[in-house]
Amino acid sequence: MSRLQYVFSEALRNMGRNALVVLGAVLAVFVSLFLVFGTLMFGEIASSNAAQWSDDVRVEAFLSNELRNVERLQSQIAEWSDVAEVAFVSKAEAVENAKRIFKDNQQVLDLIAEDPSFIPASLRIRPLDLQDYDGIASRLEATPGVDEVISAGDAVNQLISLRDGLQVFSWALAVALGAAAIALIANTIHMAVYARREEIEIMKLVGASNWYVRVPFLFEGMLEGLIGGLLAVAVGLGAYRLGFDQIQGLVPLIDLTVSPDFLLQRAVIIVLFGVVVGAVGSTISLSVHRYIRT
Amino acid sequence: MIRLENVTKVYDGGVVALKDVSIDVAKGEFVFLVGPSGSGKSTLIRLMMREERPTNGDIWIAGKPAAKMPSWKVPHLRRSIGTVFQDFKLLPNKTVFENVAYALEVTGRPRHLVRDQVPQVLKLVGLSAKSDRYPKQLSGGEQQRVSVARAFVNRPLILLADEPTGNLDPATSVGIMRILDRINRTGTTVVMATHDHAIVDAMQRRVIQLERGRIVRDQSRGAYEHRAPAETTATPAVPPSAEAEPSVAERELAAAEAELAELPTEEDYAETIADDDETIADDDSGQAAS
Repeated sequence: MSRLQYVFSEALRNMGRNALVVLGAVLAVFVSLFLVFGTLMFGEIASSNAAQWSDDVRVEAFLSNELRNVERLQSQIAEWSDVAEVAFVSKAEAVENAKRIFKDNQQVLDLIAEDPSFIPASLRIRPLDLQDYDGIASRLEATPGVDEVISAGDAVNQLISLRDGLQVFSWALAVALGAAAIALIANTIHMAVYARREEIEIMKLVGASNWYVRVPFLFEGMLEGLIGGLLAVAVGLGAYRLGFDQIQGLVPLIDLTVSPDFLLQRAVIIVLFGVVVGAVGSTISLSVHRYIRT
Repeated sequence: MIRLENVTKVYDGGVVALKDVSIDVAKGEFVFLVGPSGSGKSTLIRLMMREERPTNGDIWIAGKPAAKMPSWKVPHLRRSIGTVFQDFKLLPNKTVFENVAYALEVTGRPRHLVRDQVPQVLKLVGLSAKSDRYPKQLSGGEQQRVSVARAFVNRPLILLADEPTGNLDPATSVGIMRILDRINRTGTTVVMATHDHAIVDAMQRRVIQLERGRIVRDQSRGAYEHRAPAETTATPAVPPSAEAEPSVAERELAAAEAELAELPTEEDYAETIADDDETIADDDSGQAAS
């Protein structure tokens, strides 16, 4: 019997002997990794939507009519390290915009037609990152030649905190669930070792190598992690495919599309994570187990 | 073969099991360890098989430093030691044959060696006819014989037995002792911890008596209790089998006895393992010739 064959058959025999415990471990890994997978997808959807929204966020600085050298101010602001882009909206363009926005409001249109000069020119600034929004706005307010700064303030801040919060949350969840999966696999291997303690004792008495005693258990843990991970990915992808249309219909404002590359990459990570969880879990169990230690 | 130098063993919690014990056992000796419970017999056995490490002192087993060797080398040491315990330690879900074969399989011996050696050893312990039985279907004495067969199937240099007859009635114990005696005669060093006065008195072998972790007597042809030398010589060296009724197994044992003399010594055996089928074929022809 080749060594690999031995490891396989021992691991499968062990798993067959403790079918219920093994099922428990596989399900635990499955549920944990499924939730991790779901959280990763949810986080990706949220952050890609937030990125889209934040792309549309601008700080608008209305310029005073007295300002002479607009171009200099524009290039000066463009040099700020947290500014991605500065666009100049001239008085004429601003008037056109106003006419379009208020095209149903005759009173306002009349007012504009009477004296368009009250509509100021402005600079539209795109921040490099949403986080920089507040800083840019307050610096603009202190800049001479700028009359007024319009900011979406609270809305932006909420977007930022939603995005960051999701990131932290999904990482925390992944860590907690990963730890739970490790503990459950460790426990399963512990029970498998305990169930075979007599056999292990005799193996060691007659001089079986440590490798010979341990590897089947290590392999068992990795196999359980692998099966759990594959299940999690399969069910996660299946649920995403099947539920996509219905859920998209419920939340039309949020784009639920996730790139296939992202899905594939995360799926591979999840499966590998499952295998690692299994290996770590069984290693922990083997290193504390008194029947295994010499 | 076995050497302990000033060995002290203190267990966690401060229990002193052995105190400054020095023993030298030559190759091929048969040694009884006697003494009351808690005197350190079992600890001594556990130190010799490197189940425990001494707190102080040095231990050499078959030329290897058992006390100081790293744990990854222990499996190799164990292959030169056979062990027999009071509770047999057989696997209930394996047959007699499988239990004995297990010792060869887990150390990675080739299958043809298993097929060759296991029946031979089962014959030696008189269990050829029961090789397909499960331990549950055997008597205590038979189970212990399986356990001895498993300990010996590797042809170890040393056989350690911790109260091997502790769970057996006197007649059955005699059968076990005859097997151990035969194994000893093949050149295997045997160390046996026991409480059994009758056995020790009848065998007339070296006796090391322990009391509260110290050696109080080391006598080359001793009895369980210390006696004056004159008295000792007066004790007839009765073969243990004299008291036992010859059963079928006993007769098989006797038949196997002749064969045992022809069993390969451990040196031959080492060659057998190292080489392949051919060596075994040679071995067989050699046996037939002798």
